[in-house]
Amino acid sequence: MRTLIGALLLACAAVAQADTTPDALDWLRKIYQGTDKLSYSGTFVYQQGESTETSRITRLIDANGEVEKLETLDGTPREIVRTRDAVRCYLPESKTVKVDRSGGRRGFPALLPEQLSKVAQNYKITLGEVKRIADYECQAVILMPKDDLRYGYKLWADTKSGMLLKARTFDEKGRMVEQFTFTMLAIGSVPRETLKPRYSAQDWRIEDTAVAPINLAELGWSVNGGLPGFQKVDEVKRQLGDAKPVGQIVFSDGLAAVSVFIEAREGRTEPVRTGLSSMGAIHIYTREVANHVVTVVGEAPAASVRRIADAVEYRPR
Amino acid sequence: MKSKISALMDGELDEHEATEPLAALGRDREAFEAWRRYHLISDALQDAQALSPDFTPRFAARLAQEPTLLAPPRLAVRGDSARWIGLSAVASVAAVAMVAWLAFSTPPGAAPDAVAVASQESAASHEMTRVPPPQTANDYLLAHQGYSPRLSLQGVAPYVRTVSDPQVERRAR
Repeated sequence: MRTLIGALLLACAAVAQADTTPDALDWLRKIYQGTDKLSYSGTFVYQQGESTETSRITRLIDANGEVEKLETLDGTPREIVRTRDAVRCYLPESKTVKVDRSGGRRGFPALLPEQLSKVAQNYKITLGEVKRIADYECQAVILMPKDDLRYGYKLWADTKSGMLLKARTFDEKGRMVEQFTFTMLAIGSVPRETLKPRYSAQDWRIEDTAVAPINLAELGWSVNGGLPGFQKVDEVKRQLGDAKPVGQIVFSDGLAAVSVFIEAREGRTEPVRTGLSSMGAIHIYTREVANHVVTVVGEAPAASVRRIADAVEYRPR
Repeated sequence: MKSKISALMDGELDEHEATEPLAALGRDREAFEAWRRYHLISDALQDAQALSPDFTPRFAARLAQEPTLLAPPRLAVRGDSARWIGLSAVASVAAVAMVAWLAFSTPPGAAPDAVAVASQESAASHEMTRVPPPQTANDYLLAHQGYSPRLSLQGVAPYVRTVSDPQVERRAR
């Protein structure tokens, strides 16, 4: 029955697959701006395959800047606190705080027009239905990929504020890959105390991934041909856990990103297993190149992630 | 019983463990209602089209009236449309039964998530070797997510993927 409904939906989507319309692009802009300027607190369900997980999300933006907190509500409470300059991940099971500082260079919203045009190059953006989600009247916006190298997305946003209430990733057959849905949401300012992490984490281990720029091409590494529509956005060297420095090259098509991690095989205890592993829309493909381990991580179809991994080459200069 | 039914729905029970809740579905009204409600919740989450509330009794009545056909009838030039709807409904029930049978006949040793993931993938990726996530998967994910353009569309929410699988976290140590 589901397959039948899926096929019908896909048929409808195919009929509706016109080129990007200006009003749909305006709607996408409205969602980006809503995400940037709104404060809110709510509960959402993340769904991938057969598993679902509920989390609470709180965001505050005021004169002191923006803070966002994500808490998982199922199982042991794990938390992520994101500020302008860092993301801190609190993992009580291992008493570890993982800190990532690479997100600080976002430069939003100045980059918005550039980002929108990049998205429009790779996806056809059209409007879908209007329906109610978690008591908000929402407009659906469909991003249909122009080829099978990327996933498609359907977004539902509050007609008044542009707040994103639901986001679904679908594959080339229209099947759901993963989905985020708010089940409860209150838009408006929240007390700053609610954004503090619940853990003092005083005696916890802190893993701060120091990030530095690097030129991997100079060291002989290249990603030949890459993936159409995906452009290189950054190239850094970072420390991951106790491991040796890892090189990272990031490609993006405006909506999805794929990272290539390159690290020396030497001193590694884990055997290298060539192949694919998946978590929702994220695929990880590992292979060995010239005594190095190449790990490609991305929210793109498995074949695309593998294609990038296969394109990695080492030619010492 | 409700937790067993929920586990049954999630495909977490092996053949042996599934016997009891399956039997309960047939005789226990409350168990059946729980089963129905869990599917409604799941359908609502996945946005599936709901059937009309009295679909089941109407369908059962219709099915009971269907003659048992030992040989297919000759196709009438102007067919009785009501009968064709009936037959196509029988066909979809057969398909549902088939899916249910496939779901229950999964070998107990198979990892449920691996099965779920495999069914999501296109034929091309079937040729790829499946491996467990690297021990440092969560570190890669955290390092990667910071660059995801989804963040400017969705805020911190996509980071749930970084912390959503405690098994990976456990394996990391």
